[in-house]
Amino acid sequence: MRKHRRRTALTAAALLAGVVTALSACGSSGGSAPGTPGASGPATGTLRFVGPEEPKTFEPVIAGFEAENPGIQVEYTQVPFDQLNNVLQQRLAAKDSSIDVYTVDQPRLSALAARGFLVDLSDLREKVRQAVVPGQYEVNVFRDKMWAVPIWTSDQFLFYNAALLKKAGVTPPSRDPAQRWTWEQVAEAGKKAQEKAGAQWAVIPEQIEQFYQLQSLAESAGGGPGITGPDMLTPAITTDGWIKAMTWYHDLFANKLAPRGVGSFQTSPLFSEGKVAFFVGGPWDVGVFGAVKDLDWGIAPHPYFAGGKQVTPTGSWSWGINPASTQQAMARKFLEYASLDPEGNLLTTKNTTIIPSNKAAFDTYLPTLDALAGDKSKGVGEILTYDAGNTAVARPTSVGYIQFEEIMTKAFADIRNGADPRARLEKATGEIKTAWAQLR
Amino acid sequence: MARPRVRRSAAAVLGALAGLAFAVPLLWAVTSSLRENEAMFRYISEPSWRTLLPSDVTLANYAALVTGDFGRAILNSIVVALATVVLGLVISAAAAFGLAAVRFRGQGVLFGLVVLSFLIPFDAIAIPLATLFRDWSLQNTYAGLILPGLGHGLAIFLLRQFFLAIPAELVEAARIDGLGWFGVFARIYLPLSRPALVGAGMTLFIFQWQAYVWPLLIGTDTAHQLGPIALANMRGQFTIDYGQLFAGSVVLTVIPLIVIMRYQRHFTQSISTTGLK
Amino acid sequence: MSGRERPGRARLRHRPAAVALAFLAPALAALLVLRLIPAAMAVVSSLRHTSLVTGETSFVGLENYLTLFGDPAFLQSVRVTLVFSLIVNPLQIAAALALAVLFTRRFAGVRFWRSLVILPIAVPPAVSAAIWSVAYRPDGLLNSVLAVLGIPEQPFLTSPAQALWCLIVLLSWIGVGYWMMFLIAGLQDIPASLYEAAAIDGASAWRRFVHVTLPLLRRPLAFVLVADTVSNFLVFAPVQMLTNGGPEGSTNVTMYDIFTRAYTVGDLNLAQAEVMLLVLVVLAVVAVQFRLLRAGD
Repeated sequence: MRKHRRRTALTAAALLAGVVTALSACGSSGGSAPGTPGASGPATGTLRFVGPEEPKTFEPVIAGFEAENPGIQVEYTQVPFDQLNNVLQQRLAAKDSSIDVYTVDQPRLSALAARGFLVDLSDLREKVRQAVVPGQYEVNVFRDKMWAVPIWTSDQFLFYNAALLKKAGVTPPSRDPAQRWTWEQVAEAGKKAQEKAGAQWAVIPEQIEQFYQLQSLAESAGGGPGITGPDMLTPAITTDGWIKAMTWYHDLFANKLAPRGVGSFQTSPLFSEGKVAFFVGGPWDVGVFGAVKDLDWGIAPHPYFAGGKQVTPTGSWSWGINPASTQQAMARKFLEYASLDPEGNLLTTKNTTIIPSNKAAFDTYLPTLDALAGDKSKGVGEILTYDAGNTAVARPTSVGYIQFEEIMTKAFADIRNGADPRARLEKATGEIKTAWAQLR
Repeated sequence: MARPRVRRSAAAVLGALAGLAFAVPLLWAVTSSLRENEAMFRYISEPSWRTLLPSDVTLANYAALVTGDFGRAILNSIVVALATVVLGLVISAAAAFGLAAVRFRGQGVLFGLVVLSFLIPFDAIAIPLATLFRDWSLQNTYAGLILPGLGHGLAIFLLRQFFLAIPAELVEAARIDGLGWFGVFARIYLPLSRPALVGAGMTLFIFQWQAYVWPLLIGTDTAHQLGPIALANMRGQFTIDYGQLFAGSVVLTVIPLIVIMRYQRHFTQSISTTGLK
Repeated sequence: MSGRERPGRARLRHRPAAVALAFLAPALAALLVLRLIPAAMAVVSSLRHTSLVTGETSFVGLENYLTLFGDPAFLQSVRVTLVFSLIVNPLQIAAALALAVLFTRRFAGVRFWRSLVILPIAVPPAVSAAIWSVAYRPDGLLNSVLAVLGIPEQPFLTSPAQALWCLIVLLSWIGVGYWMMFLIAGLQDIPASLYEAAAIDGASAWRRFVHVTLPLLRRPLAFVLVADTVSNFLVFAPVQMLTNGGPEGSTNVTMYDIFTRAYTVGDLNLAQAEVMLLVLVVLAVVAVQFRLLRAGD
């Protein structure tokens, strides 16, 4: 064997890899000039719209728009939620012109705008400012320009299992925002329900490891949004407020008040099955729990820390236009209809339970939400109106939000599984700094 | 002769146990697909016969599949997977034949190229490849979905390994009898390598049957949507309809099961049983 | 692979390269266009940096590679990947071989049971993840079974010490039947006469396995060894769906790290640099495997 030493296949392969590399150095083109802004393109045709919702969600708004604008059709393509941000990012970076309009996760707006993935819509800013509920204009602004129009917003409530509380001898929380419970009260009452009524879990936040849900804990404890600095690229997650909030969160699981190992949207079945005393969830849960037979539940305002600020999560989706689109005039019309026209905006909520951003649509929608689960959901509208005007705090606006959220989600998961909150937040700070160094 | 019988029953017991161990998780998925959503996780903490056997059977989850885009997506998946298996097998088997049956200078380099091609993670190169495909207007075409499955170095490598086992004497004899190279390939190599062809076919099939990120990356419209994407689309943004998810999964799993069962017999039919060796 | 020439064979081999190339051409074209050219584009991309703030791209040489070597997350992912590979590959191959030997025997229902073992490979990854996440939940199926057996509750995916093992079990559930399939195909090619001869010589079952089965299974085994190693280096879907690389980074395998950088964070340049490093490592491992296998020739 030794005598016949041949070139082995693999060294050859390695060589070839080098050759191919050299050959194709001219293969990929750099240069990424931002697309030309402005309302251009034909007046009629087929608009292509991409989002994560089921097609039936957008059927009403599309039908309404098509009826008002003869000659324009809207073709909607659903991309699974878990891949939406990834796939949009790659396709927009490649200047894929087969997307005209797409859904924008509001905290990601800055990053998308900075990279030139959104058309500047600043000429609509005054109209938007006047048409939408508080907070929903600002989330679309980055570097003094408006990049998308708001469609939906959200809020979080405290759901409780009335039967378990009754059995444990706990008076349920009031619906009145002025009598909002503290987290300490919730944990105490939940524990009682575990001890006396056999509740498996005391309190579960629905999106159990998500920044959307957990930011409000830190903000309530006075910890701030987690990002500071003039360019919003300085992590601030080791403030006293953050440590306090994350220690409370850590103890929730260490003391078995809430479960480990159950993913963010796998938590609501536990409440539906009557195993949970308190559940912190969104408006969509009103519909979900309302449909469960034999579940006796009620709703109250989102809690806060004793002695801290009253803070509630908010924000949802905006829609924006792809700069590579060749049909931007039509795309604008569609956005104006879906966001600024109360009728159009209301139609986006016809087949799903979510809060419209348009103020007039919002006011029309509240009675519907109030009545969704009969007596159980009564008063939701009032809470929602109060929260939107007084306690809603949006996620921080930063070009580094995507990296930030990714690292925070992992930190939350580790703290939940028993990592020391302070040490883990310090580690996350280092990781965020490393990741943000790459932004430049 | 008591011992062989004892051994045979021991093997049967072991085989059944192994089969069951692999099937139990799936059985739970099947059961769940027949449950109402509210009861989905009710029996996981306190195991009972209800954990694996549904008490109140409902077909509602399956009925819901029929109304959506799922049926068309399954058909698309079948078309794409079948085309990939047929074309992919022809291409890979021919290449493996070129690498195994004939000796020539530079063969090592070409084999190295094949090996290299399957060391490269597809999901990593899918991003530049998608850009190429869009430039070539392959969006929303079956070709755009099928082509990536055809460049499958692993299938070539597999077939080459098995082709090397075919005795050279057989080929020499056939050549002396006047059989051309294509004849050697089609009449000797292919029939003698059925188990390997089935294995390679399965490999190609699975690559396409599980295609998920790629179709999204090139931007596939609803008419060309594939099964796994239709399945993922059932998951709403705020809620997961587990019943439908499991029903969809059962459908997506039953089709490969049929394929596996159908081609099982080829595992036991090869060189040693065809009497050529 | 032997260099011996036999009389008569040379006659058959006029212009063998042309013949071979004709057979190889479609596959080479496919591999070049669908794998190697995009890979080359990825190499180029790994030498550039795109600012996520301004979107401007510049050539930075090996800077991305240096960044990686200074990134604790990357270094941890390398450690995790090595530990994972050292455990999962021998385990899967041994299990696949044992099952292949079992399922080449004749007994009642062999085809049916064999199909069940192969089946998990065909289950959509999202479904496997859904099933196993429920099984591994602290209040889930596995712990309830353990409770019946009197074993205390285990943390599974929520523990840095157990999460990687949980993934190894899940991946073996998916993969073992698949690799078994190729070993069965190889076992079927071993002439029964060889076993008979060995049995007459009085060889025990184990000796027959070591001296007849293993040597003759060399090529399929080589395929399984190389292919299984490679595919375990490139696995990430279950990690993405079950653990996100956690807890404490204990399941952050390099391919998942790459996927996160490329798709979630959108830093394609850095991700492609990491891909190149991974491919180099896999290439080295596979080269060693080929060498070892050839030495046994």
